[in-house]
Amino acid sequence: MTSTATNAVQRGRGGIRPLNIKPRRTMNWTLWAGLGLSGLLVTVSIAAQFWTPYTPTKPGVGDPLMAPSAAHLFGTDKVGSDIFSKVMAAGLTDIGITLIGVALAFVIGTLIGSLTGFFGGAVDAIVMRGTEIIQSFPALLLGMLLVSAVGGGLINVVVVVAILGFPGYLRLARAEILSKKSMEYADAAVLMGNGRLSVLFKHLLPNSLKPLVSFSAINASWVAIIVSSLGFIGIGIEPGSAEWGSMIAAGRDQISNWWVTFFPGVAILLLAMAFYLLGDAFADREVQ
Amino acid sequence: MIWGVVTLTFFVSRVVAPDPTGLLVPPQATDAIKQAVRHSLGLSDPLPVQYFRFLGSLLHGDLGTSFATGMPVNADLLTRLPATLELGLVSLLWGVLFGVIFGVIAALRRGKIVDHILRIMIVGGMAMPQFWLGLTLIGIFFLNLGWLPGPIGRLPIGVNTPTPITHFYLIDSLLTGDFTTFSAAVSQLILPSLTLGLGIFAPIARVARTAMVDALDSDYVRTARAVGLSPTRIALSWSLKNAMLPIITMTANAVAFAFSGAVLVEGVFAWPGIGQYALNAIQQSDFPGLQGFVLYVAIMYVLTYLAADILYAYIDPRIKKS
Repeated sequence: MTSTATNAVQRGRGGIRPLNIKPRRTMNWTLWAGLGLSGLLVTVSIAAQFWTPYTPTKPGVGDPLMAPSAAHLFGTDKVGSDIFSKVMAAGLTDIGITLIGVALAFVIGTLIGSLTGFFGGAVDAIVMRGTEIIQSFPALLLGMLLVSAVGGGLINVVVVVAILGFPGYLRLARAEILSKKSMEYADAAVLMGNGRLSVLFKHLLPNSLKPLVSFSAINASWVAIIVSSLGFIGIGIEPGSAEWGSMIAAGRDQISNWWVTFFPGVAILLLAMAFYLLGDAFADREVQ
Repeated sequence: MIWGVVTLTFFVSRVVAPDPTGLLVPPQATDAIKQAVRHSLGLSDPLPVQYFRFLGSLLHGDLGTSFATGMPVNADLLTRLPATLELGLVSLLWGVLFGVIFGVIAALRRGKIVDHILRIMIVGGMAMPQFWLGLTLIGIFFLNLGWLPGPIGRLPIGVNTPTPITHFYLIDSLLTGDFTTFSAAVSQLILPSLTLGLGIFAPIARVARTAMVDALDSDYVRTARAVGLSPTRIALSWSLKNAMLPIITMTANAVAFAFSGAVLVEGVFAWPGIGQYALNAIQQSDFPGLQGFVLYVAIMYVLTYLAADILYAYIDPRIKKS
C-alpha cells in the first residue's frame, strides 16, 4: 500500500508524468490484440470464400449433431453440416455488414455533422432534434422495428445499421467542428482567401477525424452485436443463411448439443472484442 | 422528446409494416371480411386521421387494443411491467454493486494482476452478445450441471404465485412468508439477471475504474495522504465520492440499456415481461403493442435521467447551488 501511495504522489507531480510508461504499454497491448484479432477474423472469412474443410451449405457431410472431433472441429448441426465450415463462411456476412454499415454511418454522419456544425442556423437545430429522437430509442429496438418494417436482406440490414449509427458520428463531428471553427488556424485559412467549404473540408475536418475514427471502432463492436441479434430474432438476413446470429437461432432448440450455438457465439464475441479493443487503443492514443 | 419517439414509432410501424389483417382472419376470408376487419381496427382511415386519433387517445392514457392479444395494450403492459422491473432491478443491483467494487479495487491495484483480469472482463462484457450468453448459461447450469432451473419464466409450474402486494415475486413471497416460492423465484432469476447484469457491470466497472484512477491522482488525494489519512479512508470517503458523478451517469445509461437488452434476454428466458411482449409485437405486426412498449420505455428513460439529476445534486452540492 505504501509503495502505491508513493507512486501516486510522484505521478501527481506534473513533471514526472511523461516518464510513466504504463499507459503506453497497455495501449500497445490493446492495439495489437485488436489488430491481430480483427486481422485473423477478416483473413479467415475471406479465405473461407475459396476454401473450407467441407462445403458449408451441404447437409450430411457428417452424421447429425456430432460432437466436435478431429474430422469436424466444431461438430455438426442437426442436418449434419460442418459447423466449422459454416462459421468460417458466415464471417464475411457479419464482418461485411458491420464494416459497410459503419462506413456508411461514418460518411453520412460526418458530412451532415460538419456541415450543420459549420453553418449552424435552423437546419442545425432541426437536425439535432432529429438525432436526439433517434438516439433516445433503445437502439436494438429501433433496429428491430426498422428491419421488420423494410424487410430483411443484406442491403436493408446495412442501411438500418447505418441509420442507427449515423447520429453518433453527426453529433461528434458537429461538436469537433464547432470547437475548431473559431480557432486561429481557421481564421488564418479564411484570410488566405480559401472558400468557406474548402476551409471546412481541407482544414477543419481532417483535424477532427481522430475522435471519429476511435468512435467508429467502438461503434463497429456494437454494430456487430446488433447485426447478429437481428439474425437471432430471425428478421435480419434470411433465416437459415450463413450468418452467426441466425446460426445460433437455428441451434436454439438443441442447446443440449452445446457446440451448435457455442461456436458462432464465440465468433461474434471475438469480432465485437476485436473492434472494441481497437477503439480502446485509438482512444488511449488520442489522450496522449 | 417522448412525443418525438412516439411519433417516429407510429409512422415507421404504420407506413411500412405489413398489414396485420392477414394475421387476424383465416386465409380463405373474402375481401369484404378483410375490409371489415381493417375498418374495425381503424386502418382504413387516412394516416393523419389515424395519427391524431392515436395521439388523442394517448393523452387519455389509452394505448389502444393489441392486435395480438385482443386486450388493451396498457393493461397488457401493466401486468407484465413488474416482471421486467424485477429482473431489471436485480440485474442493476448486482451490476452496479460489483461494477463499482471491482472498478475501485482495480484502480487501487492499477497495473497489478487484478487490474488486468478486470480489464479483460470489461472487454468481454462489452463485446458479449447477450442472447448467446443467455443460451450458453442455460446450457451449462441447467442442461449440463442441473444446478438451476430452465428458461420457463418467473416461477416453475406447480409453485404458487405469491399474493400480489408489490407484484415483485421476491418481495411478495418474503412478506407472506412463503419461502418455497421465494427460493424458486430466486433460482429462476439467477441466470437472466446474470445475463442482463453483465451488460451493466462492464460499462460501470470501466467508468468506476477510470474515475477512481483520476480521483486518486488528484491533488486533494495527495493532500489527504500528506495529512496522514488512512489509504482506505481516502479511497472510500474522498476518492469514491468524487468518482460517483460519472458512475451515476453511466448507471442511468445502463438502465436505459437494460430496457432494450430486456427484449432479447426476456425472449431467451421466456421471461413474461414487457420486453418479450415487444418481441412478440414485432413478430406479429402488432403496432399498438409495439407503440405501447416504446412509450413505456421512453417514460422510463425520462424518469431514469431525472433520478440521476436528483442524485447529482445530492452528491455534489455545487450542482444544487447552480
